[in-house]
Amino acid sequence: MKPNISLAGVWLRKIACLLALFILGTTLPLAAAEKIRLGEIDPLSGHLAKPGQEIHQGILYAVEEANARGGVAGRPVELISRDDQSKPEVAVNQAQDLIFRQKVTGLVGGYVDSLVGPISQQAARNRVPYVASASLQQSIAGNKNPYFFRVSRLEGVVEPLCRFLTQTLKTRRVAILHAATPGSSEFSDSVQAHLRQAGSEVVLEDKFRPGSPDFSVFLLKLPPARVEALISGGFYADNLILVRQLRERPLGLKAFIAPWGVAYQSFIDEVGPASEGLFGACAWDPGITRPGTEKASQAFVAGFRKKFRKEPNTTTMHGYTSARALLAAIEQVLQGAGQLTGEAVSRALAHLDLQLPMERLAFDAHGDPRYYQQVIVQIQKQRLVVVYPPERARGRVDFSLAAR
Amino acid sequence: MWVGTPVIFTGLSLGSFYALIALGFSLILGIARAFNLAHGEMILLSGYLAFVLWHYFQVPFVFILLICSLVLVWVTIPLNYLLRRLPEPYGLNTLIVTLGLALLLQNLFLAWFSADYRLMTPAWPMVNVPWLNFSFPLHQGVLIVLALLVTGAVHLLLQGTFLGKALRATIQDREAAQMAGINVQRLSLAAFGLGGLLIGLAGPLFAQNMYLYPAAGVEATMIAIVVTIFAGLGRIRNILLGGWLLGLTQSATIFALGSRWRELVSAVLLLLLLYFRPQGFSLKKEG
Repeated sequence: MKPNISLAGVWLRKIACLLALFILGTTLPLAAAEKIRLGEIDPLSGHLAKPGQEIHQGILYAVEEANARGGVAGRPVELISRDDQSKPEVAVNQAQDLIFRQKVTGLVGGYVDSLVGPISQQAARNRVPYVASASLQQSIAGNKNPYFFRVSRLEGVVEPLCRFLTQTLKTRRVAILHAATPGSSEFSDSVQAHLRQAGSEVVLEDKFRPGSPDFSVFLLKLPPARVEALISGGFYADNLILVRQLRERPLGLKAFIAPWGVAYQSFIDEVGPASEGLFGACAWDPGITRPGTEKASQAFVAGFRKKFRKEPNTTTMHGYTSARALLAAIEQVLQGAGQLTGEAVSRALAHLDLQLPMERLAFDAHGDPRYYQQVIVQIQKQRLVVVYPPERARGRVDFSLAAR
Repeated sequence: MWVGTPVIFTGLSLGSFYALIALGFSLILGIARAFNLAHGEMILLSGYLAFVLWHYFQVPFVFILLICSLVLVWVTIPLNYLLRRLPEPYGLNTLIVTLGLALLLQNLFLAWFSADYRLMTPAWPMVNVPWLNFSFPLHQGVLIVLALLVTGAVHLLLQGTFLGKALRATIQDREAAQMAGINVQRLSLAAFGLGGLLIGLAGPLFAQNMYLYPAAGVEATMIAIVVTIFAGLGRIRNILLGGWLLGLTQSATIFALGSRWRELVSAVLLLLLLYFRPQGFSLKKEG
């Protein structure tokens, strides 16, 4: 009868295995369901890969920081990152994949409005909250999309820049050269309106496709038009070429000012001494932080350096800020014992008020940040020095450098 | 100073840059019938090598040009052997394989050099032309001289040597050349070698006049394709004329109409050329 007993044992083992598999099968999805899934879409390759990867690192850091603190309301956060290859159609596909297949709680990331715009439409259509890291175009936020939020706004760039030009530099004749992107074109229009109001004149305005190899012919038009200051609405790489060609032919300008791409230590390192005296704008830098948030800023810089072995910059901070906003809203929903739906997270985002190193973050009715304000910096001795607004200035404008 | 002088000079310099980018592509396409979509990425490979030599080892620019040209020969020759193994339809297959190679190189650049933009900024002095009351940065002049020298050398090679005659015969009719006893496989190797030399030369110029980033090769390949269409397949001398025509058109457009019209006017010019002279703007009529 011994074989019968062992046969029973075999059956018992089989049943035990099946039971174990059943328990594993039922508990694992539960454990997975406990995770909060965040979707991130950024240009990690293609012509916008540099800013895209910087934003990605900021978001990744924010998620890992939250997980290191024990997660959001005790639940771990999983970041699912997707590359839009700097192409709007790929951004749409990735957004759909994250929403329908990955079933993410919210979306974060995005650089330039041509990529952020299509993602925001997908988010609105499927009621998924989306916090964009770098977007300026007013129509994106202005079309009553309750699921769209962003951490930057156009006025926060244009206002300080125009006040600096008219009040500090006292320029009357200005030229604008900007990239042919929606955000940059809107920037140009807004600057023109502000300057006209302040009594200055935009005597020359032109746009170009990002990636143009030559600006020297455009620069030839500046002296006959008696331009005092040139505003560049181009991006980091465009400014590399523009500045080099500007330095080759001194045009007697009072100032060259670029809100995007100049206020970076990597730009200074790449251009070298030719960067001296240039003006840029930024919302944050390891050496430029909002009063009262120095400690948080230092902690971020130290942690970021340790993780990525590099310096964070303003683009990284935009990524970090957007992720922090989404995580804070999710936490509010969970702590209020609410269900983690798109509507609930969007409502929480709308009522958010956070003190972050880059800005005090609270959104208006359009999802725009109420307090986002950039500062004007000048490159002096290969460092970024805040020169405007006066309450945040750490140095004075060096006119000898500006006129060089 | 007459206002047209800097516009023309800039146009010629820009056109020379375009021609130098396109020469290697046109030669390989004309002789080996290989549609090299990884052309731009190979220029980037040379550009990144130039950047490393300039940034980390402070190698003078002339030597950088030499080193990059020689190194790229050793990149294009294995490519020739790889493409030679492809079955018919050969042209289409080379397109697919080189597209894959382009993607591979882009990802390698991303891993090796990160997504950061790199720019070579060697200090070039300004050159003054007193009788024209005009000054220009020397690197712009170097582009024009280099384009003339390289195009002249390739033209002389094609016109004045036995190898050149064989290469021209292959460009004109590959099958007839083969029947006449020309070893087209060996000529294909020569084309890839020469093309590699030219691609290697274009890399440092690209790094200096544009900027390097992993996806920049697409831009270079587009320039090469457009200039080759302007010139007509395998017409080396016309490559320079095509580049100049494109550069001058763009400069004049920016000056007269504004930067926003640059691409549109270039595209209209290209379409007109394709419609009226699909064989390129060769001055001579086809035989």
